[in-house]
Amino acid sequence: MTTKDIATHENFTQINTTKESSKPVEKLFASDLLSNVMAQTNEHDCLLTMLNNINVIGVASLNDLSCVVFTQGVKVKQELIDKANELDIPLFSTQFSTVDAIIALTKVDHDETLL
Amino acid sequence: MSEYLEEYPIERNDIGNAGTVASLTKRALKKRGFSPEFIKRVTIGVYEAEINVVIHSYGGNAKIHISDDLCEITFVDRGPGIPCIDDAMQAGFSTASPYAIENGFGAGMGLPNIKAVSDEMSLESSDEGTKLTMRFFKE
Repeated sequence: MTTKDIATHENFTQINTTKESSKPVEKLFASDLLSNVMAQTNEHDCLLTMLNNINVIGVASLNDLSCVVFTQGVKVKQELIDKANELDIPLFSTQFSTVDAIIALTKVDHDETLL
Repeated sequence: MSEYLEEYPIERNDIGNAGTVASLTKRALKKRGFSPEFIKRVTIGVYEAEINVVIHSYGGNAKIHISDDLCEITFVDRGPGIPCIDDAMQAGFSTASPYAIENGFGAGMGLPNIKAVSDEMSLESSDEGTKLTMRFFKE
């Protein structure tokens, strides 16, 4: 899967502007604890979270994540959007719960390797 | 390759800049050609220690020393210190403030994560402050 697949999914909306049109997404990872995200994620992972905090973008950058998905319709703060634009990290929003978002994304290309 | 030796201040509760030292360390290691696995270990350790200084202390600093085969990072803060190091080393044990928890920190995984990723770790603490040193040896 790629970030372009998420951007074109009817239940997901990209909420910032990035220069790179598509990045590979190799794994999905869900957590609202940054120590957990820091220790468990790798390059090209997609983070799903409800944590609306500038450090989410910092950790995404440190671990070279491909993108971040904010679940349950979280209204993402402008400072996160600005920082993600600067670092070229795509941010997505969905009304889905984190679990439903994971289910929806694994149905893209029937890609169970994302789990 | 020349040695890298830098010192950075870390401010109390400066959540917005938390991760800066980790980011600069990662960049310095990358520039020196260390492996992605090595860089990942160091970055996790530095990030966790940096967050600890931000959310638990009155402020402090980080000294980063990188040579050809070693990365050594020392964090020193100005207190209030860790009341019981044995408790703090237990996964899940946390004394974090509601402010830290609201910001996604304080899960009680910081020190256990540092111990897990580093090759050597030493920790001394009193009410005057805490000194944490971690060493990573190139494989």
